[in-house]
Amino acid sequence: MFVTEWNSSALVKAATKAGKKKNALTPMTFSLLHATDFADRLLYNIIPPLKAGMIVLADRYAYTAFARDTTRGVDPRWVRELYSFAVRPDLAVYFRVPIEVSVDRLLARRVKLKFYEAGLDMGWSTSPVESFRMFQGRVLEEYDRLVKEFGLDVIDASGSITEQQRAFRKLVTKHLAGAAEEVETETPETVDAAR
Amino acid sequence: MSDPTTPLENGAQGAVTPGTYYGYGIPYLTIGGYPGKIIAIEGTDGVGRSTQIRLLREWLEVQGYGVIETGWTRSALMQPTIDLAKSSNTLNKLTFALLYATDFADRLEKEVIPALKAGFIVLADRYIFSALARAGVRAIDRTWTRNLYGFAIAPHLVFYLKIDERTLIRRVLESRGMNFWESGMDLKLADDIHDSFRAYQRALLREYNSMADEFGFRVLDAKRKIDAIQDELRRQIAEFLAESEPVTRI
Repeated sequence: MFVTEWNSSALVKAATKAGKKKNALTPMTFSLLHATDFADRLLYNIIPPLKAGMIVLADRYAYTAFARDTTRGVDPRWVRELYSFAVRPDLAVYFRVPIEVSVDRLLARRVKLKFYEAGLDMGWSTSPVESFRMFQGRVLEEYDRLVKEFGLDVIDASGSITEQQRAFRKLVTKHLAGAAEEVETETPETVDAAR
Repeated sequence: MSDPTTPLENGAQGAVTPGTYYGYGIPYLTIGGYPGKIIAIEGTDGVGRSTQIRLLREWLEVQGYGVIETGWTRSALMQPTIDLAKSSNTLNKLTFALLYATDFADRLEKEVIPALKAGFIVLADRYIFSALARAGVRAIDRTWTRNLYGFAIAPHLVFYLKIDERTLIRRVLESRGMNFWESGMDLKLADDIHDSFRAYQRALLREYNSMADEFGFRVLDAKRKIDAIQDELRRQIAEFLAESEPVTRI
């Protein structure tokens, strides 16, 4: 098992960090930098464990980019083509929460909202909380479109962690059982082909 | 992950009106009818691009044109990262291509588009064609690279300073020597830097040549004297400016 997180490659960290600090990122450079980060992790952290037969748990995937970049005004078709080098995940799970739950959880954390996370770069509102509500509200709408387009599995994330974990494990178990069956049935065919 | 739909209609390609986006563009920046012009100077390393650009700039400014220069990997956002990445060996061909595209996007939005809007002449030291050539040599899917640059603006003029590989090798050795990236050492074409440089630059020249007709490169012989090339550039640019919509003069 291998875990990989969004925006964690050492290569682009410096540029992303500098850009975020100075609020210097445009929607396009924001999008491209995250794609660069993704490409770096795909080649170093995702493909090797996949080849070794491991399970890769990705905390966010290309769908995050599709939802956020599109909300920021980047062309939705362009960003899909941009990520066409990505490996299509075997299972993609979307943890869905209503925007109010998301805002409440965030306020409960009592941390300062981040500039880009709150979509303050869009200039829709000068109030971070209001901006977050507007921006993330639009992002959630995008996700709902993605669920249909890419057939994402949805877990209701407004419930308790235990409930979510139970639903998640059920999904994963079902998927792994299906994958195991596929492997079993595939083996004889491979042997046939080899003959 | 998803198959690129209708390839090339959305990416960099020849049949696009200068001053407009190649493909999907940047939806939040509409650029129609801007008075500025983009003049790109393309060519491999060591063909004298920067000298020609410096001379062109002086000539244009004397005539009262507003001029800005923009050059490969010069964006404030990306330069430190690209330098860092090049100094280590962690760049793979995809991240290489994407870092360049990020640099290009940063300069396009922050330098080129504002300059076009203000009626300036943008002198671009290399444009997307260098990126397409480098990606092509590295066997990155052509459709993908061209779609990637679908956000770029088709330049008004592209001059290609063409050189043969023998002259290029002599020039580079006489000036600063061969470096790792200019020699395409990441491609492992040869163990020896000279052989690698030759193979890499030959492949690059092939890529540029393959784009020349499609993108309407105005090809200039880079072996000629600096003054002769400059005269030719000025003659063609003057002709173009006389024919086009008036560009703001200061």
